[in-house]
Amino acid sequence: MLVVRAGVATVQDLGRPGYRAAGLPPGGAADRFALRLANTLVGNAETAAAIEIALGDFEFEAAAAGTVGTAGAIASVAVGDLTFPGGAGLSVRPGDRVRVRPDPAGRFGYLAVSGGIDVPLVLGSRSTYLPTGLGGQAGRRLQAGDRLRVGTSAGPAARRAAPAIPREDRPIRLCAGPQAGNFPFEAFQRLVGEPYRLSPTSDRMGSRLKGAALPLLRAASLPSEGTAVGAIQVPDDGQPIVILPDGPTVGGYPKIGVVASVDWGHFAQTPLGGTVQFEWISVAEAHRAARQAAAGQAALLTALRSP
Amino acid sequence: MTTRPPRLAPLGDAAITVTYADRIDDVVHARLGADARRVAAALGSAVEVVPAYSALTIHYDPAHWSFAELRDRLLPILAGPGGTAAPAPGPLIEVPVRYDGEDLDAVARATGLTSVEVITRHTGPEYRVYLLGFVPGFAYLGPLDPALVLPRRATPRPRVPSGSVAIAGSQTGIYPAATPGGWHLLGRTAVPLFDPARDPPALLAVGDRVRFVAER
Repeated sequence: MLVVRAGVATVQDLGRPGYRAAGLPPGGAADRFALRLANTLVGNAETAAAIEIALGDFEFEAAAAGTVGTAGAIASVAVGDLTFPGGAGLSVRPGDRVRVRPDPAGRFGYLAVSGGIDVPLVLGSRSTYLPTGLGGQAGRRLQAGDRLRVGTSAGPAARRAAPAIPREDRPIRLCAGPQAGNFPFEAFQRLVGEPYRLSPTSDRMGSRLKGAALPLLRAASLPSEGTAVGAIQVPDDGQPIVILPDGPTVGGYPKIGVVASVDWGHFAQTPLGGTVQFEWISVAEAHRAARQAAAGQAALLTALRSP
Repeated sequence: MTTRPPRLAPLGDAAITVTYADRIDDVVHARLGADARRVAAALGSAVEVVPAYSALTIHYDPAHWSFAELRDRLLPILAGPGGTAAPAPGPLIEVPVRYDGEDLDAVARATGLTSVEVITRHTGPEYRVYLLGFVPGFAYLGPLDPALVLPRRATPRPRVPSGSVAIAGSQTGIYPAATPGGWHLLGRTAVPLFDPARDPPALLAVGDRVRFVAER
């Protein structure tokens, strides 16, 4: 496929866990379920590489026949003169111009093509790690003129569209972190009190939140220790920074809590400038919710794959 | 010397933090490094262990473990033998450096040493790798000779030369790529700090020892 127009778009798959001790974060799609869904729509394995669209329209010219599918924050897909809502698998023929338009109600959209995006594997993954230019398409964002190879093997495309998954207006669930002693009780109340707004300076490394400043009991800098995806760091100015898949693996800021894994994708989909409301849950509740969601997602994908 | 047992706490629902101390201590660090290896040996790819200055972070799949299950598997490993005996030191890696960094003269002025003395004091010690982070392959090394201790630069550079050897506070490190950087640049090495084609990809690992060698 030939990229004709791209804003902020990178090749991503489900990432490369296992190298955090070397300073390389796991990376991969910010909304993992949306990537898996887009892949399923076009008959790919869930782990195939697709295009994560974070900003701007994405337009390409197909060089071969195949199927394209989208999931996540995608408003529409135009193939030639015909426009379709996001979420269905669409046939394309060689020479077709395809334009994918993001949905401003979310933040990350996924475009999968049958066969998967075939860029070289780096440490077992095709995900793009921008800070040091690792993986993906030459370690960088996609740009007009890029010719992307597409794999040749894919199963049958899904025979129906994905059910519309409306963006639920519910709080993002948080679990405690180990540094409770660094914060006065008021900090925990403030974090779930009023909504926070997502700064436009947010990227795949972290979501910067603007809102009620969180007070700290001690100096902000501790000996650096391991962080995690979803961890909410609080620097001196009290404005929280939530770690996303390409975020640093270690850090010295105290962490007030961590987004529950079940809500990582939902949180990542908070649009730039949009608001997010948090609520506290226990780790046990988080695990229950994660297992329930995983089962529901697996059932949905299995149903799409069935004839 | 007796050591307190480390404290385990959830870091969200997909990681656990094991805290050994609230400050940097070489004996503690050696112990947590040994614990990290034991945990990795016992649990394999079911977990991912990340050592730091005074804590371990253990990442796990919340679909496979509950916090209580993993904690119960970890406690016996962390309380295991090791006690007061210092674990064997890690391998020594010598890193050749061309000491022509942009900040070498400024560091000399700020510390009241000559450039030659700065180089001598930087190449003297055997440094310990405390942790890797910031970007892939960036190792935090220490402790630096106290005569070289300076706060980091007031204004970080948006881009430092790849392979830059630098200092800040009581640490020294090597930038694996041309990234932003706020440390003082003493020189450069051509040795790759991170190579995805190599196994393991990072040159340095926690617990290794590093000595810098001045190139002619």
